[in-house]
Amino acid sequence: MNEITRSQLAAMLLITDAFALFCFTGSISLMTVAGLSAGILLQMALAVPLIKLGGIKVRAAYFFYLIYLIMWGGLLLEMQWKTSKHIYIPYENSAGIWGKLLISGLIAAVCLYISSAGIKAMGRASVIAAFIGAICLLIAAVSGISHLDPENFSRAESGRTLTEELITGFAVSGGTGSLAILLGITKGRSLKNVSLYFIGKGILTAAVTLTAVSVAGGIMEITDFPVVTAAQVSQPFSSQRIDSLFLIVFAIFAVFSIAVQTAASAYVLGELFPKFVRFRSSVSLLLIIGAAFLLWKIPLNSGIIGIGAIIALFVIPFIVLIFKSLGMRKGRVQ
Amino acid sequence: MEELKIIPDLKQNIKKIRELSGNSSDILVNEFYAGGIHCALLCCEGMLSVSIITELVLEPITHIPQKNDIHELFRHIQDRLLLSTDRPTAEDYNTLFRLLHSGFAVLLGDGIDKALAFGVQGYFSRGIQEPSGEGNIMGAHEGFIENVRTNMSQIRRRLKTPDLVMELFVRGEKSKTDMCLCYMKDRVPAKLMEKIRSSLDDIELESILSTGYIQPFVESNRFELFSSTGTTERPDVLCSRLIEGRVAILIDGVPFAVVIPKLFCESFQTLDDYSFKPYYSTFIRWIKYGAFIISILLPAVYAAIVMYHPELLNSTLLMLLVESEKKAPLSIVTEVTGVLLMYEIIREAGIRLPKPVGGAVSIVSGLIIGDAAVNSGLISTPLLTITALAVISGYVVPELNAPMTVLRFAFLLAAGIFGLFGISLLACAVLVNICATEDYGFPYTAPLSPFSKRGLSDTAVRTGMKKMQKRGFTVEEYHE
Repeated sequence: MNEITRSQLAAMLLITDAFALFCFTGSISLMTVAGLSAGILLQMALAVPLIKLGGIKVRAAYFFYLIYLIMWGGLLLEMQWKTSKHIYIPYENSAGIWGKLLISGLIAAVCLYISSAGIKAMGRASVIAAFIGAICLLIAAVSGISHLDPENFSRAESGRTLTEELITGFAVSGGTGSLAILLGITKGRSLKNVSLYFIGKGILTAAVTLTAVSVAGGIMEITDFPVVTAAQVSQPFSSQRIDSLFLIVFAIFAVFSIAVQTAASAYVLGELFPKFVRFRSSVSLLLIIGAAFLLWKIPLNSGIIGIGAIIALFVIPFIVLIFKSLGMRKGRVQ
Repeated sequence: MEELKIIPDLKQNIKKIRELSGNSSDILVNEFYAGGIHCALLCCEGMLSVSIITELVLEPITHIPQKNDIHELFRHIQDRLLLSTDRPTAEDYNTLFRLLHSGFAVLLGDGIDKALAFGVQGYFSRGIQEPSGEGNIMGAHEGFIENVRTNMSQIRRRLKTPDLVMELFVRGEKSKTDMCLCYMKDRVPAKLMEKIRSSLDDIELESILSTGYIQPFVESNRFELFSSTGTTERPDVLCSRLIEGRVAILIDGVPFAVVIPKLFCESFQTLDDYSFKPYYSTFIRWIKYGAFIISILLPAVYAAIVMYHPELLNSTLLMLLVESEKKAPLSIVTEVTGVLLMYEIIREAGIRLPKPVGGAVSIVSGLIIGDAAVNSGLISTPLLTITALAVISGYVVPELNAPMTVLRFAFLLAAGIFGLFGISLLACAVLVNICATEDYGFPYTAPLSPFSKRGLSDTAVRTGMKKMQKRGFTVEEYHE
C-alpha cells in the first residue's frame, strides 16, 4: 500500500509552502506577517470538511484537483525560472535563456526521477530534505536576529490591507490541492495529520516572513524577492558570506515542491485512468511545463490563485461532504 | 538425470555411474562382499576422511554375518549399525551424485534400486581465522570460513535456543551448492519467510560462487545505489542480526553470510560499539557519519567553493588556496578527478597483486608519485590533502565503499559544472534513491525516515545496555 505518514505529509507540504515563500514577490511588512498567519488559521478552519472526509477520494472531484495540481506545479516552475536569476546559479550562461533552460531542464529531470520513485519514497526523502532545509533556515534566522534592526519593522511597508494580505496568504498556499489528495493516503487520524501540517506552516511562515522583515525591512521597496534578499543580506560571520548556502535550500525545495505536484497529479491520473500505468509522472511533468508557459504572466500571490486554493481546500470537500451525507441519508431511508 | 532411477544390477549400475560421471578420475569405486553379497562403496577422492571411513564404515561393514539377500543386508545396516550420524538414502542418480560430491560414502548393492550414504566428509578447509574485513577490538576473533556446516556450528554455539532454525537446501544447477537459511522462528513472521523462500526459488543459476550471485534475487528489481541486503563475515554480528529478527543465508564455499533486510544505519554500527562506554560509542558513531559525508562530498564541495563560491571561505583560507592553486596547470576538477582516478588505480593494483608486491606499489604510489606530483606543481597540496582525507574517510565505513567511490566522482562532476546547485540536485536524486530502497517492506532509511524515536536510541546515540535490554528491538518495528 502506497501510504505515507503524518510527518511525511507535513514535510512534503511544508517544503512546497517554503518554496512559495522564497518566491514571494512584492514587499513584506508586519501586516503581511499578520495576514499570512491569520490566513493559516482560516485555512485550518476551512479544512474541517476535508478532515471529515479524510481526503478526496471522489472521481468527479479528481478532475478539478488534477487541473489545480498541474496549474500550481506550473506556477512553481515559472517562479523558479523567475527567481533563479536572483540566486547565483553558477553556469557560464545561467543568466541567458539557454542557461536558464538548462537549469530548469535539470530541475525537471530530477523532479521526474523523484516523482517516478513513488509518493512513499518521496515522502521519506522529504522528511530528510525538510530537516536539512530547516537547519539552513534556522542559521539564516539566527543570523538575521543577531543583526536585528528594530526600525526595519516600521520601515517595511507592503501597501496592502489585512484582507488583501489574507488573500495573499491563500495565494501562496497552493499546497492545499496536494493536501486534499495526499491526506487520503496518509496513515492515522486526519485531524492530527492536518493539524501537524498547519502548525508547521504557521511556524515556518512566521519565521521566514519575520526574518525577511527584520533583515530586509529597510530595502523592501527595492527588492523583487524579499525572502531571497533577506537570505543574501543576513550573514552570521563577519569575515565570510554564506548566501550560497541558501542556493542549496532553494534548489532542494524547488525540486521537491515541483516533484510533489508531479507525483500527486500522477496519482490522480492513476485514479482517473486506472489502465494508464506507465509514464504517468512524465505526462504530469509535461503538463506542468505546459502550464508554466500558460501562466507566465500570473504572479504567485495573485487573487485568482487564492480563490483556487479556497476551492481546493473548502468548496470541493464541502460539496463532496454534502453529497456524501445526502447519499447516506437516502440509503438509510431506502 | 533427475528422472533416472538407480539400476538394481550392480555391474550395470557402476557402468551407468561411470558413464554419467564421464569416467571422472576422482570417483572411486571399491567393490567388495558384505554378508556374502556383492556390494560397492563409492566415494569422491579428497572429499572424505580416510580414517573415519576406515574405522566407522569399512571395518563394521565387512564384518557383517552372512545374509540371505541385499534387502536384508541393507535393513541390517540401517537398523543395527550406526555407521555415521548423517545417513541419507538415494533412489536416483541425481541424489547419488549430489551426496557423492558432498563427501558422502555411498553403498550400492547388487539387486537393490537404492543406495545408502554415510556422512564421512573430511575435505581440507581453512581453519577458523580472524575476519579480514570486519576488524574488532573487544569482541570475538572468529570469522566465517568456506565450510557451511562449520559456519552453522559457529552460529549454533552462540545461540543455543531451539528457536534458531537452520534450513539446508541446494541451489545451482551445476554447482549444487549447499545453502542454509537461518532465522529465529519466534522473531520472523511466517509471511516474510515465505516471500524469501519464493525469491530463492527463482534462482536458476548454474553455480553460486559468492554472495553477489544470490543478493540480486533477494533484493528489489529497481536500481538501488546502496544494497538492501548486508553481508558479514562475523558469526557474532550475524547472531545479533538474527536476534533482531533478520534472516541470514549461508553459502557453502563463501566465508560471508547474507543478511536480510539491511538498514542504512547498520553500516555505521560495529560490535565494538557495544563494548565501549555509550558516550564514546556515540562519539565514534558520529565520526563515522561525518566520515561518510566527507568521503562523498568533500572533493566536490572543495571544487564548487574554489571555482564558484569563494565567498564561503574566509579571507585567510581563500588566499592560501589561491596561492597554491595558481601554480597548478590544470583545472581543479581535472586535478581532483586525476588524483581520485590515480588512487583507484593504485588501490585496485594493491588488491590484485601478490601481497609483497602490493606493499611496494603502496610505497611507489604514496611516496614517489604523490611527492613528485606536488613538487612538480602538477597538483596543489591542499587539493591532495582534501582528496586523501575523502579517500581515507571512505574506509571508516568499508561496507559502503563501493557506492561511495562512484558517488564521489558523480558529485565532483556535478560540482565542476554547476557548483553547489549541481551538488544539491544530485543530492536530491541520491536521497530519493536511498529512500526508495526497500526490500520485503523494510525501508532502508529506517529509523530516520520513516522516523522512529525508539530507533534513534541505537543510531543517533548508543544507549546503555540496561535500556537496550528493556527495548527488546526487532526489525519488524520498521516494517511498512
